[in-house]
Amino acid sequence: MATKNSTAGPGASFLRRHLTEIVLLLGCVVVFAFTAYVNDAYIRLFQYNIQHIIRYTSMLGIFAIGAAIVIISGGIDLSSGSMIAFGGMICCMVISVLAQAIAPDAADPTSGVPSWVIVVAVCSTLGVGVLVGTLHAWLITIVGLPPFVATLASLVGLRSLALIMTKAVTKWQGQQAFKINIQDETFMDIGSVWWIPLLIFVVVACLAWLLMNRTIVGRHLYAMGGNEEAARLSGIRTDRLKWLAYCMGTMTAAIAGILFSSEVGSSDPQTQGVGYELYAIAAAVVGGCSLQGGVGRITGVVLGALFLRVVIDAVAKLIGSGSSDYEGLIVGLLVVLAVAFNQLSDQAGGWKKQFFPGLLGWAAIPTIGCLVGASVLTPEGNPLLGLIAAAVTCVVLSIMKLAADFAGKKEA
Amino acid sequence: MPDPVIRIDSVTKRFPGVVALNNVSLEVIPGELHSICGENGAGKSTLMKILSGVLTDYEGELLVKGIPTRFNGTRAAEAAGISIIHQELNLVEELSAAANIFLGREIRNRFGLLDNRAMEDEARELLEQLECEIDPRVLAGSLRVGDQQLLEIAKALSLKTDILIMDEPTSALTESEVERFYRVIQRLRERHVTILYISHKMDEIFRLSDRITVLRDGHLVETLNRDETTLRKVTHLMVGREIEEVDIGAERSAGDVVLEVENLWLPWPGHARAWRLQDISFSLRKGEILGIAGLMGAGRTELLECLFGASEEIPRGRIRLEGNPVVFRHPSEAKLAGIAMVTEDRKRLGIFSDMSVRENISICTLHETLRGGLVNSAKERKLAGEMIDSLRVRTAGDEAAITSLSGGNQQKTIIGRWLLTKPKVLLLDDPTRGVDVGAKAELYRLMDTLCGQGIAIVLTSSELPELLTVSDRILVLSEGSLTASFNRAEATEQKIMEAATLGGTANSAARRFSKS
Repeated sequence: MATKNSTAGPGASFLRRHLTEIVLLLGCVVVFAFTAYVNDAYIRLFQYNIQHIIRYTSMLGIFAIGAAIVIISGGIDLSSGSMIAFGGMICCMVISVLAQAIAPDAADPTSGVPSWVIVVAVCSTLGVGVLVGTLHAWLITIVGLPPFVATLASLVGLRSLALIMTKAVTKWQGQQAFKINIQDETFMDIGSVWWIPLLIFVVVACLAWLLMNRTIVGRHLYAMGGNEEAARLSGIRTDRLKWLAYCMGTMTAAIAGILFSSEVGSSDPQTQGVGYELYAIAAAVVGGCSLQGGVGRITGVVLGALFLRVVIDAVAKLIGSGSSDYEGLIVGLLVVLAVAFNQLSDQAGGWKKQFFPGLLGWAAIPTIGCLVGASVLTPEGNPLLGLIAAAVTCVVLSIMKLAADFAGKKEA
Repeated sequence: MPDPVIRIDSVTKRFPGVVALNNVSLEVIPGELHSICGENGAGKSTLMKILSGVLTDYEGELLVKGIPTRFNGTRAAEAAGISIIHQELNLVEELSAAANIFLGREIRNRFGLLDNRAMEDEARELLEQLECEIDPRVLAGSLRVGDQQLLEIAKALSLKTDILIMDEPTSALTESEVERFYRVIQRLRERHVTILYISHKMDEIFRLSDRITVLRDGHLVETLNRDETTLRKVTHLMVGREIEEVDIGAERSAGDVVLEVENLWLPWPGHARAWRLQDISFSLRKGEILGIAGLMGAGRTELLECLFGASEEIPRGRIRLEGNPVVFRHPSEAKLAGIAMVTEDRKRLGIFSDMSVRENISICTLHETLRGGLVNSAKERKLAGEMIDSLRVRTAGDEAAITSLSGGNQQKTIIGRWLLTKPKVLLLDDPTRGVDVGAKAELYRLMDTLCGQGIAIVLTSSELPELLTVSDRILVLSEGSLTASFNRAEATEQKIMEAATLGGTANSAARRFSKS
């Protein structure tokens, strides 16, 4: 989208360049208004709902920005979810160990710890983020692994390591456990007072925006993502840039890890952040980043994260109980729609193409029918509803296909 | 004369901005070995792509075995008995030799499963006919280049090919492989396979051909019988265009030596010829243009990459910049020392296609636009705007997408990018490729102006007239070695062409021919 000729006036070119952001913003407003119209509790609990959306958007947005910087620079970071768990574990571990060292005889050493302990814990967590990012950069630039493989190894490895360390530390402290609990109120406030994640998110977003739009490093990151070899031949140290990009990816995930742990007052490597790396990539892609690299804006990613959360929240309100089951389905659907939208608007006549040509077309129609049928099933709903939805979808798509085939034949 | 097996009748092929083939008519007699020669860009490849069904959109007519034909793809050409062996071989390295031969038309047994035994047996037989001891079960990727090539020939034979097109088949072969290859050619001829042979190497052409067709600038110049012509005549026909009146840089005067290269060797790991560049020495003076001539694969780009710290392997030898020995391990070090390089493949290695003209110009010198640690867009625009004006880049504005510019203007943008770094030495790797005639002249004048400002330029080009027009001196590379050096006054296309086709294995043979 960014490569269109911008010969029109400055206003028009601004609109065109920020098409993704505008569409996302409008999308948020529409979804929000629709939910409010259908579900009157949405307005009654307006303040609570808004705070809820903001808190979760912030938590997602922080590490989505890191993931987006990696994607813009031409790589991919699959480790965010496990890095969240690992970061949370490190933070809780440092607090717990220091607290016990200060007050070994207290009944509950982790409540009412001095604030410097928390500062040390947060700094150590960020430091560990840098270490993991460095490991990624080393594996990718020196060893020569593809980014996908290097960060995949972290995705599966870090969570396991977090669990091992949790067990070791808790055993050493007396009682072996799967979690490290922190009772301290100051620590728990970081993630549960709604405006603190927002504040951190805004700071991270502003810094990332400055980095990407106003510094040499940012420009070089875009250049490397767009054409790595040309960047190297322009005298850009691509290895160092990758180091920075992967550190941004893991550091933002570490920050998110602190927030997720502090929200519940414990680190839980088995459940925290599972699958979140894909949410981060989804937010980046919905926000207009190209997985080929070189394209994407921080503002888009922020709005992409917001849009994901608004839609998830809206579906939650509309369905009620069991709504969290739908989260993955919604994210998957939004990613497909967003990327398809970008691709098709870039191609000439992209929207007019025959979507179900030939044999693959015939095979795709019942597949989509089944998907639709299965998606409308709810635990309380009538199974017949799913069958009807599937059948109707198949019939409608078949008619579309036959019509397109017929039109195609006529042309030839 | 028997009926032609291929008749090409008034074929014209246009690409945007270039006529690659202009009204070419040619007849190929069954069973002959017909060589096609011409400089880079003469239209040889285009012609072969039309014959092999790679290009389907052209004007004119093609008759194969007397039947008017228009292939809609390589499969159709193969069905008509025409196969092509590209310079870049088309093998799936992870599959066995036999599997490669039968790729896409695998033999199946009665259960519908792959019959590897049958394919291996048939492959073995084909390879034996080519007197080549390749085990059909080994992976294609583990074979040497010469063997891979024979594998492609075996594949073509299994397709019942009777017309075989070969594009520079010996360019990657060792001396003994070349000899074996000639024997294979002989066997193919005994089987009455018609061969269309593209090569730059004159000794080869004169050894193998029955007839020789010369192309130049998309025109067919002449088709000659081998017995009735000489190497001198063919090279003359290849280059013999009217040389444009030279008025650029006639009174340039070179200053002090800026760059000295002594005994530069560039290793080429895993290749039959262990060195990409062999023992290159030369010096470059302030305010002169040093042209580097050579055929494809002679090592022109590699030489520039060595000077710019961009080569994959670290070169051996000494490079001195203004008297100080330098070793560049990364282009950023060369940039800092005052060397700039405009790369050959603009699209792949030069432009950032997602970025604007402004961003493409300023990418190397953003540090000059800083204010308080941040890039100041007003300063950046001023920097880019001045360069756009002084190089007269035709663009809708500094915010226009780089991809909206013509090739020549994109090239000026990239030159502008490097001029901002105030280089002492400017390396230009085939800067006028894909640039139209008017823009070429502008680029020549630009180079001349830069020389006047004291910049030293090293220029490579695949077009000899261009080198002759702008260079003060011309070095000729052939297969990684420096084979000649000419002053502006003594250089002619004929001499350069002869030096460029001399080399390694072909050396003595070519000398013999050039004397006759």
